[in-house]
Amino acid sequence: MRRAAAMMIGLAAVASTLAAQDEEGIAVGALAPAVTVPDLAGRPVDLSRWLGQRPVLLEFWATWCTSCQAMMPRLAAMKQKFGDAVKFIGVNVTVSETRAGVEAYVREHRVPFQTLYDAEGVAARAYNPPATSYIVIVDRRGRVVYTGAGGTQNLEPALRQVTGR
Amino acid sequence: MRDMARLSGVLALLATTAVPLAAQAAAQGARHTPTAVIVSGPDVGSAAPDFRLPWATRDSIGSVDNDFVLKAHRGKTVVLAFYPADFTSGCTAEMKAFTDRYAELFGDDVVVVGISADSLGSHQRFAATLGVPFKLLSDPDQRVARRYGSKGTTGPKRTVYVIDGAGNVRYRDMRFGALDPKAYDALKLAVQNARRG
Repeated sequence: MRRAAAMMIGLAAVASTLAAQDEEGIAVGALAPAVTVPDLAGRPVDLSRWLGQRPVLLEFWATWCTSCQAMMPRLAAMKQKFGDAVKFIGVNVTVSETRAGVEAYVREHRVPFQTLYDAEGVAARAYNPPATSYIVIVDRRGRVVYTGAGGTQNLEPALRQVTGR
Repeated sequence: MRDMARLSGVLALLATTAVPLAAQAAAQGARHTPTAVIVSGPDVGSAAPDFRLPWATRDSIGSVDNDFVLKAHRGKTVVLAFYPADFTSGCTAEMKAFTDRYAELFGDDVVVVGISADSLGSHQRFAATLGVPFKLLSDPDQRVARRYGSKGTTGPKRTVYVIDGAGNVRYRDMRFGALDPKAYDALKLAVQNARRG
């Protein structure tokens, strides 16, 4: 039953891309908002530390999101390939989450990004993500070059573009 | 001058309906195609348009003679949550949050319904997957979504209305942020206010 439920939710991996097209996120070409979001320890993290300085990948994610789970190995592979040139940040959306639950998930799964906990929705309002698994890739000038959602996103072309590799 | 008259006609139509401007302009034979899509829907303080739609829950599909009728719930606070599509991750986030926090956000005496263009079978599977404790209404041609300014391209836009016991709109969020915790806080407050009368 649990597997069936997971499969049903897993359909989001395919369908969320369609939904993302029908809703708003942040426009490609826009300047990525340099908001300040706390990390899991509650320390404020100002995204301007990286935005406009170096390429950045942001994922809006949740522990219960199967599309996000599907993207983890892909993100890990991209982190291994581009991690010295790109800052990887995971913004936990905090909806239907607890801080302790996210901390446990991060410890257990060794997520391939620095985790922020958007309890006040600051990043959510700035980027208006239409779905969990929403990924935003930003070039070194701070411009958005890629947005997408779903569990099968191919991030390598955009990461090649922003790193020049 | 003739263009002005045409424009006035378009604006007058927009005041009474929630049809996208592009469609209205086409219907009026306007020369210039607008690039923006304008939606309306009942404002706060105005009467919520009545409607009738078929429904499904996590357990069953409503019979054909038992549609959800908005005005049948007069006397109760009603929450209408238009959303793009079942099984998409944004809608999963929203319906999961409504389910997980049902008692806190709404309470037993509030009528909550989700509305999308999906089929009743899809609704039942979606509700069963998440354990959604309220009805999901099927609005396949987005007829109701259009009246509430929520019509989208492939499915409704994500909006929320809170309607009081007198049938008037007390709150609306025409861009409900499914991943914004503050959006849920605002909805919770609006429901509390509507319940107080």
